[in-house]
Amino acid sequence: MSQLQVKRRTLLQGAGALTVLAGLGIRPGETLAATDKLRAAITGYNAINTFDPGKASLIPEFYVIWSLYNGLLKFDKDMQIVPDLAESYTTRDDGSLEFTLRKGVTFHDGSALTSDDVKFTLERLLDESFASPNRSKVSDIDKIEIVDDLTFRIYTKKPFAPLLTFLTNARTGTQIVSRKSVEAAGNEAFGRAPVGTGPYKLVSWDVGEGLKLVAHDGYFEGAPTIKSVDIPLISEEASGVTALLGGLADITSTAPAADVPQLLKNPSVKVLRQPGLNVRFLSLNLQKPPFDDVHFRRAVSMAFQREAMVSAVIFGEGVPLYGTIPPLLGKYYVPGERTYAKFDPQAAKEELAKSAYKADEHEVKVITWGGSWWKRYAEIFVAQVNQVLGTRFAVEVTDANAAYAREKSGDFQIGVWGWLGMIDPDEYMGDIFSTDGWRNFGKYSNPEVDKQLEAARTTLDTDKRAEYYHQAEDIIMNDMPVIPCFCSNIHNLVRDGVDGFVQKPYSNFGDQFANMKVS
Amino acid sequence: MVAVTETADQATVRQAGRKSLAALAAGLATKLIGAVAVLIVGTLVIFLTMKAAPGDPALAALGEQATPQAVAAFRVQHGLDAPVYAQYLSWLGGIVQGDFGTSLAVASGMPVGDLLPSKLLATVFIGLYALTLAIVISLVLGSVAARNRGGTVDMLATSLAVFGISMPDFWLSYVLIFGLGLSLQLFPTYGYVSPVVDLPAALYAGFLPALAIAAPMAAVFSRTLRAVLIETMSRSYATAARSFGLREGFIFIHFVLRNALVPYLTVVGLQIRYILGGVVVVERIFGIPGVGSLMVDGAFARDFPVLQTCTVVFLAIVLVVNMLTDLVCMLLDPRRTS
Repeated sequence: MSQLQVKRRTLLQGAGALTVLAGLGIRPGETLAATDKLRAAITGYNAINTFDPGKASLIPEFYVIWSLYNGLLKFDKDMQIVPDLAESYTTRDDGSLEFTLRKGVTFHDGSALTSDDVKFTLERLLDESFASPNRSKVSDIDKIEIVDDLTFRIYTKKPFAPLLTFLTNARTGTQIVSRKSVEAAGNEAFGRAPVGTGPYKLVSWDVGEGLKLVAHDGYFEGAPTIKSVDIPLISEEASGVTALLGGLADITSTAPAADVPQLLKNPSVKVLRQPGLNVRFLSLNLQKPPFDDVHFRRAVSMAFQREAMVSAVIFGEGVPLYGTIPPLLGKYYVPGERTYAKFDPQAAKEELAKSAYKADEHEVKVITWGGSWWKRYAEIFVAQVNQVLGTRFAVEVTDANAAYAREKSGDFQIGVWGWLGMIDPDEYMGDIFSTDGWRNFGKYSNPEVDKQLEAARTTLDTDKRAEYYHQAEDIIMNDMPVIPCFCSNIHNLVRDGVDGFVQKPYSNFGDQFANMKVS
Repeated sequence: MVAVTETADQATVRQAGRKSLAALAAGLATKLIGAVAVLIVGTLVIFLTMKAAPGDPALAALGEQATPQAVAAFRVQHGLDAPVYAQYLSWLGGIVQGDFGTSLAVASGMPVGDLLPSKLLATVFIGLYALTLAIVISLVLGSVAARNRGGTVDMLATSLAVFGISMPDFWLSYVLIFGLGLSLQLFPTYGYVSPVVDLPAALYAGFLPALAIAAPMAAVFSRTLRAVLIETMSRSYATAARSFGLREGFIFIHFVLRNALVPYLTVVGLQIRYILGGVVVVERIFGIPGVGSLMVDGAFARDFPVLQTCTVVFLAIVLVVNMLTDLVCMLLDPRRTS
């Protein structure tokens, strides 16, 4: 009997202690003091499988890789390609590229960077048995020839225009690794104990939780001011916002579009945003009715308002898209509406009349998934098209992984889709619209387009290359194998008192820690 | 004569004791066998469901830019090209030897067994924390309500309980974050501290998530306790105690509460499975790296070994808790001990 009383008392004491703890407790704000420490939250993702650039493929993996390594080249804030590890490069008469490396660059383990490390890095990607997800970035390289410790030449099988883009410290996988460290550790272990030349070194990594970086004092651009970086992985974007507002994070890698209007009014947060390098379109299966009919495809494309989509789906955080190239790709982008890529209910109905199918002849399932705004995207599309054309479209909700698997296997009629983080026009057109392109899910095929895309891929002169893409895009937008919808903004949230972050349209995040200041 | 009778009585008692002990052991053994069977069936169901669902772990692990060659290499490397039954059997065989398999996509290449301990600690800590809060709150609310039946305090406690039952945990989580976290700045809005590293900090950081999980449980518990107490108070032995002139407080603690604890604890035991459901949602919102989070990640990434292992862990927790509840109730039952 007395046992019970003791129990109760203990419990009450516990509760009392808790209340005191809460009352006197450390306020969350108190942890803000350190100026040499940054808490950079990766939000909206929480899987990281490797820090080996040769094996990396997920955006959060690259967020970290960008601070651990360098590329031969990099993008500056105006998206111009500038030297990184390579001091300079020239095109030789035989078409090869000759690179000269910076002097005095050291890896995290103290060893010096040489041409041999570059050769090793690229040949490792090319090696079929290594099965790199990034192999396509270098697959046109024929050989790498070492001239001396700091000079080497890259030969390609044929002129390969995207190569310079693919050698940058972006989502490429061509970041330079240390031959010595990879060979000592083996490929598998290297992914967890990375050795690069970048401004930060990996200290620890807890799966599903986050990781810690510490400054590389021997960094060739000087030791970074921020000495340590904590990177929590926050899978819910909304939780990332509350972490930042609660003073538990200094910067986030993304922000939920729906929260942006509110956050813009909050003086303690800076919202960095710009149109990102991404395209959001409706992927059509050209081998199944009704989208095997070009008139039906054109009719649908003209039956919804892209502006309404931008405001209702992503709360104005983006721009309508009428082509296949995102606006931030400079001269490759052609602005403005197109004949069949615009909202025109009358023309849509006329086009439908030419189609072999009646509006409600086929029941059409629009595949989408539950995360973020993707479901709303499909719903608003379906509502508009059904109203304008009298079609029988319906939304089918699954999850992202299943949607992707169905797109790849051709088990779909139409689905919301998009690509992001890609930086070369070839990635937005070549693989998607070439007959044998591996991301050509709808099995589109037009020999004229194939010809133009191949020409663009092998033309080094950027003006001429842009022209090829424009011609290909014109044909594609007449055939309408995908229906472009919009390009969404990218966001970073930065706590007041944190400066120096330069945002780039491919959602750079991790490559800025060394330039940042915390007060 | 007297002595002989006593011996016979003692023998009867001893025999009965042995009998009931044997019955208890047999009961436990049956339950254990049943539990293992449930575990195996459970893993099979989840395995087949996941295999039937569209999706591919290679797509989650390698990302949307992965080439078909890389995807094919991944499938071969992880034995995903083997027949479904072979994949299941090899995984089940591993578990018997303490090998939970290798993560496919959540932490590619890492043994799931290495992922578990810290995640399990986080989940168990938050779960126990929530359970403690729920029990403390319900013991106070339920007792007060029962002793003031029909009064203002009872009305207040009952309304609070109805409110608690009706609130979804994810909604309550955000209300707590905005109220106690962002507005009053009393508690951190996000994050987790391991109780092994720093217990006070862990209790502090874990308060909001534990409260979010505890609230609906506390509501159910206090409703149950109130009902059981009121019923017990009207029992003849309570009336008899009153007629002996014992104080109300003494009767309440010694006769009423103890008798009421058995049905109360049964409900507590049954509700523990809801902690696991709550944990999955609340862990995501507060960023607690527990088994719930791991399970959600495993499901979305089609990481079969991770998902199956989490299922086994959750199933095992439910089964163990059910058995413990049965045991505690048997021991607490005054009819057994007296």
